[in-house]
Amino acid sequence: MAESGVAGLAPATGLIASRWRVLPIVELGVLATAVVLPLGLPDYLTVFATRVAILALFAISFDLVWGYAGIMSFGQALFFGAAGYGVALLGRDLNVSAALLLLPAGLLIGFTFALLLGGFLLLGRHPTSMIFVALGTMTGSYAADRLARGWYYLGGQNGIPSIPPMTLGAYEFGEGAVFYYVVVALLVISYLVCRFLVRSQFGLALAGLRENETRIAFFGYKVQHLKAIVFAIGGAIAGLAGSLYAVHEGFVWPNMLGVVISTQVVLYVLFGGSGTLIGAVIGTVIIEGVSFWLSDNYREIWPIILGVLLLLVILFRPLGLISFVLSERERVGSFGAKIGRRSHGAS
Amino acid sequence: MSELRADLSRRRFLSGLAFTSGAVATGLGSWVIRPDWANAAEGPIKLGIATDLTGPIGYAGNADANTAKMVVKQLNDAGGLLGRPIELFVEDTASNESVAVGNVRKLIQRDKVDMVLGGITSSMRNAIKDPIVARGKTLYIYPQLYEGKECTPYLFCTGPTPAQQCDEFIPWLIKNGGKRFALPSANYVWPHVLNEYARKVIEASGGEVVFEEYYPLDQVDFSATVNRIVSNKVDVVFNTVIPPGVGPFFKQLYEAGFQKNGGRLACVYYDENTLNINQAVEIEGLASCLDYFKVLTKDDPVSAKIQAAYEKDYPGNFLFAAGSAATGTYRGLMLWAAAVKEAGKVDREAVAAALDHAKIAEGPGGPAEMVPGKRHCKMKMYTAIAKGGNYEIVARSEGLVDPKECCAAARRGMARMERSRQAHG
Repeated sequence: MAESGVAGLAPATGLIASRWRVLPIVELGVLATAVVLPLGLPDYLTVFATRVAILALFAISFDLVWGYAGIMSFGQALFFGAAGYGVALLGRDLNVSAALLLLPAGLLIGFTFALLLGGFLLLGRHPTSMIFVALGTMTGSYAADRLARGWYYLGGQNGIPSIPPMTLGAYEFGEGAVFYYVVVALLVISYLVCRFLVRSQFGLALAGLRENETRIAFFGYKVQHLKAIVFAIGGAIAGLAGSLYAVHEGFVWPNMLGVVISTQVVLYVLFGGSGTLIGAVIGTVIIEGVSFWLSDNYREIWPIILGVLLLLVILFRPLGLISFVLSERERVGSFGAKIGRRSHGAS
Repeated sequence: MSELRADLSRRRFLSGLAFTSGAVATGLGSWVIRPDWANAAEGPIKLGIATDLTGPIGYAGNADANTAKMVVKQLNDAGGLLGRPIELFVEDTASNESVAVGNVRKLIQRDKVDMVLGGITSSMRNAIKDPIVARGKTLYIYPQLYEGKECTPYLFCTGPTPAQQCDEFIPWLIKNGGKRFALPSANYVWPHVLNEYARKVIEASGGEVVFEEYYPLDQVDFSATVNRIVSNKVDVVFNTVIPPGVGPFFKQLYEAGFQKNGGRLACVYYDENTLNINQAVEIEGLASCLDYFKVLTKDDPVSAKIQAAYEKDYPGNFLFAAGSAATGTYRGLMLWAAAVKEAGKVDREAVAAALDHAKIAEGPGGPAEMVPGKRHCKMKMYTAIAKGGNYEIVARSEGLVDPKECCAAARRGMARMERSRQAHG
């Protein structure tokens, strides 16, 4: 689905051999599947697919910060949930249901929260360690969860139910195919934005700092600033996903902010393969699809089967499912404008 | 009590684990339970159960699912409803609201059930009620004791409310404990709302609330609370602290000599499941007020019959208990069955209209009837105290106790919402 985004950057000369470009094929395959999917699905599965697409959007946000910038955000649900609550409150207290207000609001809430938390965790006088960031984000998410549980205005433990459906003018987005395509469109747009970002010079700097932060710092990059920017963008995308989730499911509750969903998104990405974006989408689809199928067929034990499956993949394919088809070389990929790439290819 | 009773006890958890590994070995397959006989004319009536089969309150969800299976089997054996068999669909809500919404949609959109019964915690009810009644246009019955204030059209509640658990219980506590109450509580919605009601009854009955405090859900050290209880000469501890905190709290209270000095422990969610959290001696004399206790089987033949039928089909750890919503499930299904019979069809409007005043003469703990227009259920209430690891009934309500829910103001608001919904939809 990012073909057009890549095409703009790809070398016109075709010096880079096409034989190892698996990624665009996978991306196009996923996009094509996503587009034709509702045609062959009964209604209730389209609704399920919508939910999965929203979670895939959320997974992309985590892959951006972890897979590309190496920030272990164990609290990504904070931005997801905060935007969900924001949208729920707008609906409940101000009767706002316009998509053009709710979705930007979600984006903004996610962005702001991520900027604040990221600023606090990343922009200290000394560079922070991965462990510190992981624990810091996890704490943030946990604290938000506890706060929501105890705060009556937010409905406490019971959350906020009966969020009205999103509207565009007089049109009301109920569950179903239209909502699904809206989500897929937003997913594609967000994907392309991320794809552009990580394949730009900015992305090269990110890849550098992921591999060796000190060296990038010696090159004169303000490493912490780069990280904070990516973290905030990731937060914005998580916020967008959270606001969609709230209006689609019709309710928000404290777990949406908490450690469970934060961990879930880590699993999606590790399962699919981090640092590829599309791996995050595939991981989400497979985990959600398999757990849906398992919960139908192995009622009592499905969480255990799912757990074992995740464990196996992460033990034996640490780079995720995508590594079955994607070479390491292509995963790291190439960056920036074509001039740099051409000279690289020619050398 | 409608909330997380996480990690009820280690023993229960381990036995749950053992059960699960047993299930791994034997395999379970699909959970759609098809009636033995097929009536080709109209096909079966479809009944959906959405409850927490897995997760920390799985013991309650499984008891509810078992109860539903038992009731459906009985109804089918007796010829079904309206000459049609009942087909049962069970979905797991997994103690996880987001999984729950997906699985409830399966019931509504794929299986097209005629009614959904389920949900144990209030947060679960909040999560699934919209997919069922508003977006799903289906009838919903919520079986658990809870804090009240649910007043959604097409949503019927068959568990006890604060009024039912307090109106007769608190005067009894004042008579058999004293006037000075302490309300130590876990900090979530149910205790707040229940305490608000309990305080009114305490003050109206001539008692006083010495303190009302809320603690984090996972707090396990209560020495400061116990100190305050003892130094303030509290007569009755009206507890809404939940597991895992409740075990240590009662133990510390016992060790401080609260009961020995004449104090009365009270906890309205205590049923047969929670008895084993503490040593029997630590909760000796604890008073609870519920719609059913197993000890009733001694003198109530109907309860005895239901309890025996349940234990015959489902021996093991998933007890038929009031705090698990099993009694509310039984009552809810039977009231619904009565309503379907009266309506003569299964469409939502007709059944809801009949369910609004449905009655059953026989249920666990006695008869039950819906209060017209309130979508809550009148039932008999019993006060029991713990004695040597069992309960002993010490008081029972004269007749059926009114739930006092869904008051006029709330109804008007709901009617307004319903009108605007219809106008849009």
